[in-house]
Amino acid sequence: MDDEIRQFAEGRPPAPAYRPEARARARELLLAEARGGGRFRLPRFGWQAVAAFGVTVALVGGVAAALSGRPQEHLAAAAGATQSAAVAEPPAGDLEPRPGQFILVESDTMYGSMTMGRNGEESRHLYRTHRKIWQSVDGSADGLLLIEGREPRPWPGQRELPKDAEGRQSSLWTTLAACPGAPHRSDYTYLSTLPTDPAALRERLYTAADEKDVDRDERAFGAAGDLVRETYLPKAQRDALFEAVKGIPGTQVAEGVEDSAGRKGVALGRTAGGTLTQLIFDPATHMFLGERQTVVDERAGQAPEGSVVALTAQLKVSVADRLPDEAATAEPGGGCPSSAVPPTEQPTPAATLSPPENVTEGPEPAVTGTMTATPAAPPAVKRSPSESAPAVPESGVAATETVPAPPVAPTETAPEPAAPGAGS
Amino acid sequence: MREDRHVVSVRDIPETLDDSALIGHSLSEPETFAALFDRHADEIHRYAARRLGPELAEDVTAEVFLVAFRGRARYDRSWPDARPWLYGIATRVVSQHRRAERRRTHALSRMSVDRPATFDDRSADRVTAEQLQPRLARALTRLSAAERDLLLLVAWADLTYEDAALALGVPVGTVRSRLHRLRAKVRRALGGNDPFAEEPQHG
Repeated sequence: MDDEIRQFAEGRPPAPAYRPEARARARELLLAEARGGGRFRLPRFGWQAVAAFGVTVALVGGVAAALSGRPQEHLAAAAGATQSAAVAEPPAGDLEPRPGQFILVESDTMYGSMTMGRNGEESRHLYRTHRKIWQSVDGSADGLLLIEGREPRPWPGQRELPKDAEGRQSSLWTTLAACPGAPHRSDYTYLSTLPTDPAALRERLYTAADEKDVDRDERAFGAAGDLVRETYLPKAQRDALFEAVKGIPGTQVAEGVEDSAGRKGVALGRTAGGTLTQLIFDPATHMFLGERQTVVDERAGQAPEGSVVALTAQLKVSVADRLPDEAATAEPGGGCPSSAVPPTEQPTPAATLSPPENVTEGPEPAVTGTMTATPAAPPAVKRSPSESAPAVPESGVAATETVPAPPVAPTETAPEPAAPGAGS
Repeated sequence: MREDRHVVSVRDIPETLDDSALIGHSLSEPETFAALFDRHADEIHRYAARRLGPELAEDVTAEVFLVAFRGRARYDRSWPDARPWLYGIATRVVSQHRRAERRRTHALSRMSVDRPATFDDRSADRVTAEQLQPRLARALTRLSAAERDLLLLVAWADLTYEDAALALGVPVGTVRSRLHRLRAKVRRALGGNDPFAEEPQHG
């Protein structure tokens, strides 16, 4: 008998219970990784958000009518009905989000949901939501996500919804933890530092392709999708990204592809796993309109050929000064990767912390017809732009409005780590 | 991009689907890897907590599954049970905290025998177990890191010799001979006495 070993076995120290919140956080980290974390590794920068409020800017990409409230039972019919309004107008001007503000992206989404059943069989259905996501412009503050469930649909080729598809239609407010220094960033400040040269940007997409088990081109394409989904990129980066993705071998270009709001755009697509995934862009502005997945191989795609298994529309991108009140009661979402913020390293260069009132010069926001000035503290974000609104900052709040963005030079000049791997 | 994109529900992974198949599945549907977490996270956490204490155990557990996820393509799918693999990763992650482990082992070895139980679960067995610790902890400090890894995989994680060999990436013959050597060491460290006996057994 292994007496000595048995003694250790019987003398094992008690293990404290795995705290549910820690367990949930670990699981969320894992899921975040599974969804494509670890893409870009960026130097950290610690400048603080400058408090700025008073101006709400909105850029309407297309169909506001497709927002909430419309019965969405018959998406095809609805899309047809909005066809005339569907083609995205080229925005009259770009957004000028500033640190301290939030980018709000509203979208309708439909994606496949898979459940593995008791006996190894999988059940699938199409899971639909309307989403609003507020993300800190510079990644410094917690964000907020609202998910409103929409009527789910049966998986193509199936008549009925699986039982577990029910009960997902309530609204869910979730706080999105700010993760300064996290490897995977999608905040505007970061996105503005991406190369504006398509070849250089394409290189960057490939730095994500460090997993040996997945096709590199496929990963680069996936990284591109992560950059445009629920984000806002400056025009120069949008243009570069469009060309960069086009340059990924195997990418197909298709004209006139519709998003879920019926807007037509130019699609860049790739086929993998029997499914064609297309990122749809406005041909003129290269704003991301939505994505579409179509089964091209029945066996691999697990649905009849030609069926659409994902379809989204990014309906509206706007800038908000603050989170809505629901932020106070939102459920905490996933935490940050443990590697994200080394607590010892919190550089806050003094130069970048100068109070806003000291800053008198700087780029005026490029005010255009899509901007609405709303003096004082606006009631959060739901403000729609009125196209005819004068774009002039009101004198009463001029001091705040002319506050330029804090110097972004530290980020722009900091060398990007070239090595993609460097896992924690 | 966040939260609910490509929702994959993993609540109902059938018990009939083994870990290997699950990992295979996660190559094309990465989120299904969460089911592996659901299956084994508590166990890995217990192991990490025993070795490093509650504070580090949570970080270690999270790290183990991230490392496992990133390396899932290299998983040898001929092994249906992923536990040895996960314990192997856990052992490597724990080994990054050797200093913390030494501190803990040290602290345990100094714990007085009549120290009250520190955790809620105060069953008689548990208290008995706690009272055994200082002696065992002292014995642990006499072992090399590799010996300690092996001993605790077998004694605390209940791995078979075969599984421990898998976890540590050594042949099972090596496991047997190492265990043989470390048993002798432990016996010496424990003074040849049955640590269950507070009194001499014959007397």
